[in-house]
Amino acid sequence: MPSLLDIAALVIPLIMGMAVGYSLRGRKIFNTEKVTLGIILMLIFSLGFSIGSNSELLAVMPKVGLNAAVLLTMALLFSILFVKAARKLVKI
Amino acid sequence: MMKYVLPTLALGILAGYLNNSFGTSLLNTILSEYSFNLSLIALLFLMGLLFATDKESVEKMRKAKFRILAFPFAVALGSITGGLIGGIILRIDIFASMGVCAGYGWYTLAGPLAGQLFGLEWGALGFAVNFLRELFTIAFTSLVARLDKYAPIAMGGATAMDTTLPIIVRYCGQDTLLTAFSSGFILTIAAPFTITGLASITH
Repeated sequence: MPSLLDIAALVIPLIMGMAVGYSLRGRKIFNTEKVTLGIILMLIFSLGFSIGSNSELLAVMPKVGLNAAVLLTMALLFSILFVKAARKLVKI
Repeated sequence: MMKYVLPTLALGILAGYLNNSFGTSLLNTILSEYSFNLSLIALLFLMGLLFATDKESVEKMRKAKFRILAFPFAVALGSITGGLIGGIILRIDIFASMGVCAGYGWYTLAGPLAGQLFGLEWGALGFAVNFLRELFTIAFTSLVARLDKYAPIAMGGATAMDTTLPIIVRYCGQDTLLTAFSSGFILTIAAPFTITGLASITH
């Protein structure tokens, strides 16, 4: 289970950002493109690092690769199809 | 952006692997925990800010209201159906294959939980399926978003609230922020319950 703290750690910054953004509406904000890309790359590098240092995860990959590929393909295919159908249903 | 993201991911994996063999656990803690969490928090703040300053996105969300909740339900149902069909194709235990797909990309949960509930070999599969789901979403969002703007949210599953969110928003548009975040949020909460629920049917 995700702890309440884990969830709060994600929800609070998002809401704070929205509050600040709301108060800045109509004003020109500095160019966030480069800053965002920089932080995304930091996140991706850290994610890669934690994957690379997880020897348990890397060790199982070759053994279960084929089954995982089939299950993942099916899960992705049906998720995309069901979302398409749901969007038609609720008209988004 | 993709030309930076994939090499950075590969570099991160290599650095983590090398550090695991030759480096220190302190570096692992700094990068896997502090740097990971800090960059995630900073990104969520920035994305919230950019969303709220964009009048069009706010207006779209106002119109959609609670209808966006259809997304996580569709993703959950789609993932479990995928697990069922995949299980039939591979001729393996279909409840366990539905269970591992019900991790919705959250591999640190699905791996250990599937291992505990269905048996060790399923733990490995739970790890792999969900880990590849995250990786696949990071790698292919830029391509898939061109065909269907909302498909990356379906692909990301539970990870659409954190690791894959910045990439989804970047390629699918500012207005998908809350749809993606809420979908990932609900799937994150639902994952342990659906995996346990599927296990309780037969095991």
